[in-house]
Amino acid sequence: MSKSYRDGLPITPDKFVDQLMRLKRGSIGRRDFLGLTGLGVATAVMARELGIMPTPAFAAENLGDRMSIATWPNYHDPQTFENFKAETGVAVEVNVFGSNEEMLAKLQAGGSGWSLFVPTNYTISTYKKLGIIEPLDMAKLANYDGTKEDSRFTAEGTIDGTIYAVPKNWGTTGFAVNTKKLAKPMSSWKEFWDTAMAEGDGRTMVHDYQLTTIGNALKYYGYSFNSLKQDELARAEELLLKVKPHLFAVSSDYQPGMRAGDAWMTMCWTNDGAQLHRDIPEIAYVLGNEGGEIWTDFYAIPKDAPNKPAGYALLNYLINPAVAVKEHLANGAPSTDARVNALLPKEVLDNPILYPAADLLKPLEFGAAATLTDPGRAELMARFKSA
Amino acid sequence: MTAVPDIEFRTVTKRYGAVTAVSGIDLAIPPSAFVALLGPSGCGKTTCLRMIGGFEQPSEGQVLIRGRDMAGTPPYRRPVNMVFQQYALFPHLDVEENISYGLRQARPRLSSREISQRAGEALSMVQLAGYGRRKIHELSGGQQQRVALARALVNKPAVLLLDEPLAALDKKLRTDMQIELQNLQREIGITFVLVTHDQEEALSMSDFVCVMNGGRVVQIGQPSEIYDEPADLFVADFVGKTNLVSGKVAGLSGDLVDVVLADGTVISARKRLPLSRGDAVSVSLRPESLSLSAPGSGALNGIVRNRIFLGSTAEYAIEVQGIGSLLAKADHVIGQGNLFRPGEPVAIGFAAGAPLAFPHAKNNGTNQREDQNVEILS
Amino acid sequence: MALSMRGSLFRKNLVTALLLAPAALWLVVFLVLPFVAIAIFSVGERAPEGGYQAALTFAQYANLPARATAFWNTMVLAPAGALACLLVAYPVAYYLALRAPQRWRLILLAMIVIPFWTSLLMRTYAWMYILGGRGIPALLAYVGIEDLRLINTPGAVLLGIVYGYLPLMILPIYVSLERLDRRLLEASADLGATPLSTFLGVTLRLSLPGVTTGFSLVMILLLGEYLIPTLLGGGKVFFIGNALVDLFLQSRNWPFGSAIAITLVLVSVVVLIVANRISTRLSGARRVDLI
Repeated sequence: MSKSYRDGLPITPDKFVDQLMRLKRGSIGRRDFLGLTGLGVATAVMARELGIMPTPAFAAENLGDRMSIATWPNYHDPQTFENFKAETGVAVEVNVFGSNEEMLAKLQAGGSGWSLFVPTNYTISTYKKLGIIEPLDMAKLANYDGTKEDSRFTAEGTIDGTIYAVPKNWGTTGFAVNTKKLAKPMSSWKEFWDTAMAEGDGRTMVHDYQLTTIGNALKYYGYSFNSLKQDELARAEELLLKVKPHLFAVSSDYQPGMRAGDAWMTMCWTNDGAQLHRDIPEIAYVLGNEGGEIWTDFYAIPKDAPNKPAGYALLNYLINPAVAVKEHLANGAPSTDARVNALLPKEVLDNPILYPAADLLKPLEFGAAATLTDPGRAELMARFKSA
Repeated sequence: MTAVPDIEFRTVTKRYGAVTAVSGIDLAIPPSAFVALLGPSGCGKTTCLRMIGGFEQPSEGQVLIRGRDMAGTPPYRRPVNMVFQQYALFPHLDVEENISYGLRQARPRLSSREISQRAGEALSMVQLAGYGRRKIHELSGGQQQRVALARALVNKPAVLLLDEPLAALDKKLRTDMQIELQNLQREIGITFVLVTHDQEEALSMSDFVCVMNGGRVVQIGQPSEIYDEPADLFVADFVGKTNLVSGKVAGLSGDLVDVVLADGTVISARKRLPLSRGDAVSVSLRPESLSLSAPGSGALNGIVRNRIFLGSTAEYAIEVQGIGSLLAKADHVIGQGNLFRPGEPVAIGFAAGAPLAFPHAKNNGTNQREDQNVEILS
Repeated sequence: MALSMRGSLFRKNLVTALLLAPAALWLVVFLVLPFVAIAIFSVGERAPEGGYQAALTFAQYANLPARATAFWNTMVLAPAGALACLLVAYPVAYYLALRAPQRWRLILLAMIVIPFWTSLLMRTYAWMYILGGRGIPALLAYVGIEDLRLINTPGAVLLGIVYGYLPLMILPIYVSLERLDRRLLEASADLGATPLSTFLGVTLRLSLPGVTTGFSLVMILLLGEYLIPTLLGGGKVFFIGNALVDLFLQSRNWPFGSAIAITLVLVSVVVLIVANRISTRLSGARRVDLI
């Protein structure tokens, strides 16, 4: 007991900022669009102005001296951007987001200032339809080798034969369980929801994200993760309303609660699951055997990117297998690129959280664009949250 | 007077840290009296009043109200009421609510009929009938003053305390209120204790004046006593206008002393305190006790420097060689012209027994003192 | 004469106008324009991909009942939170204004205000740590009380609200108590009122302008609050603020969000007007400027 107490306190400033940044991932980052985002940006700008990040003299082509990227929290090896800067002289400002919708809203509003960003598979067709992203000039991406990519994960980056986005990594949406608190082995979404109302009462978290929360409630009945059918959604809603009073939180920022021991079970993305398990071995990551979500994050370049040369340069740098492998080791999500997998240590490839067994992967579905933008599901989520 | 005093101070001392505001005061105020505590700013008069009200506790000694020691009795249990400086009326209540405030605190409770009846009577008493529903800020200064009076008197206190009640009013209103307060006191018959720095106010209104200085009571007496027979130089100087002329005691005979003035003139003065030959003294000469006549006939000779004609009287500033400027006040009788003009030489005489000699104080030479109308709130 | 006077009057007006221009510009750019934009959005439609599509319809307003629960929760939370804040703030303000030694007053006030210089998010996050499993529960586990959950409870939300908004409640009450004429308290005591009746009849009454200012200030901010319930309440209770964030950033239903925002603004204005009325009536005399 005393050990865990000392682990938690005191918190170093670094750790505190780290935790704050983690918030971006969850409901807060998404919400506090004035506070934290501004803070992060301001810090980055200040650091640059104060010369904390000095600019080396050389630059291969005219890349300018700065660019900005929109991505997810805990998603990169910070050293990667330092190295990129050392090589090219371009300082990278990192904006982290909590949801695809927020990225979309910002790009839709215009003037985002990003030269590269990391959208998830189901949003790419929408970006293309809205004309926000441009087809990639593959000549500038020498490090890309389509033949080495698993086509299962790359498909949604290509629309009508044109490549709009190249994959970064993929992952799944399962749930994390603290097996010390909830010892009963679980393997299905049905068990997840039932346990939430029983042994996990008051200790279970679901995402503040309609796609996964409704999708995984649909899986309780074996319906499609992407279902838009009235009657199926009605049953999912019934389940969600029944579970609601038993929940610890409706939040996508589940790592702190799980780490502190306040929450015992949560919906969870692969990379978070891997990080939690790495630090706290008793936290297990479970994929529901009914199925659920599989996803791929892509790199894409906005049409109004202020520094396209740097955007391409960074993208090309990031998909270099030697660089990408460090990224994957840092964020814990599995790679789409066979060249990267070849470089990964065996224990990573054998980690079932990252590379689940084929029979578990098979029933998983990619989230659909229609699922995300469906107003009916948005209203259902609002009813669930306000219940 | 065998009756129990309404207010009694028994060697009361009040200290604030190192500062002694009131120092060993003994005082008894008889029932049904109008008493003024008079003194310059910082003399301790307000502190005395606040000790009666219960807002300050004596550091030593006792304060008794109608024979009861008030130690430990909070203000709200004392049978006295106060009219505060600037009135301290409740801004959120209307006139009637202000007046009935005290009645509503009474336990056992008074009936609302009695409350409104008494409040109405109090309003009429201060000639504000019909003003009950007015807001305080809608009233003039004089009206506010009356509300404050009514608010205090409606509770039928044993003693009414008045803290500089007229200071905020203009001169005309002040005179009217002086008369009204006197009449009220006579009608109601309770003791009024008035704190003021205005000697005219104290003299004109009260039955007794208690002159204070430096935290002590210097003199208690009827107004005429205080004026005519000041106990010391301070009182002589503070109460009324006077000329103070310094000199030396040259001879003594009973109550009278011969004083040699700076210019060598010898005048006869009454002593109020023990004196011996050779003592430096200040002689107080009231302006109205000086008589002016043609040069050569008086005790002192001077030249008129200034003349202020006031109708029934005229005031003269007269320069006397070797002594300084003296203020003289002469009655003016209609038809009998005879006013002295500035620049004219004049002889000054004074009624026998009018000059008073006091042991010398700091100020040398002559000095006329104007009313001290400035007081810094303590 | 008349002409030159008119000239100087004109000059005076011009100077006034120039002096006010920056503030007016600020108001127009940051208040009026966004408000107009939101008003226009609110009669529009959601585009198929989200966002706004021009239209003239009151469908969004007709749809307001879909967020009735959020409105209801907010209408309960805002006054309840403000009340809790008031109950804590009043004694503090009273002590500061009427009891604390003069030389300590400024220091104590500063101690109340200084935490406000840190963002509310930071401070609330600190509470997440204190109330979270590694904070107080860990300390309690040390003495044998295991698995206590403090975070994500109504009590945690209440604590966060009181903590977060306390200075906003203390300061106006402090100011009104500070301005209170002490002689009124003596007058009340002189007229026979016990300390309790003096407090109720004079002190409290005359500090009501401060109380209503603080109360309406906190209540209006609470009407838009979403951070504290989300962070300390686990996002299980849905407020108008949450509904707005979801509509603008998640489902990108800008028109519906705008309609809710407009409604919220109207509710806030009503709250202000009512508070002003109450304050004016209770404090008697003068008109009270609320903000």
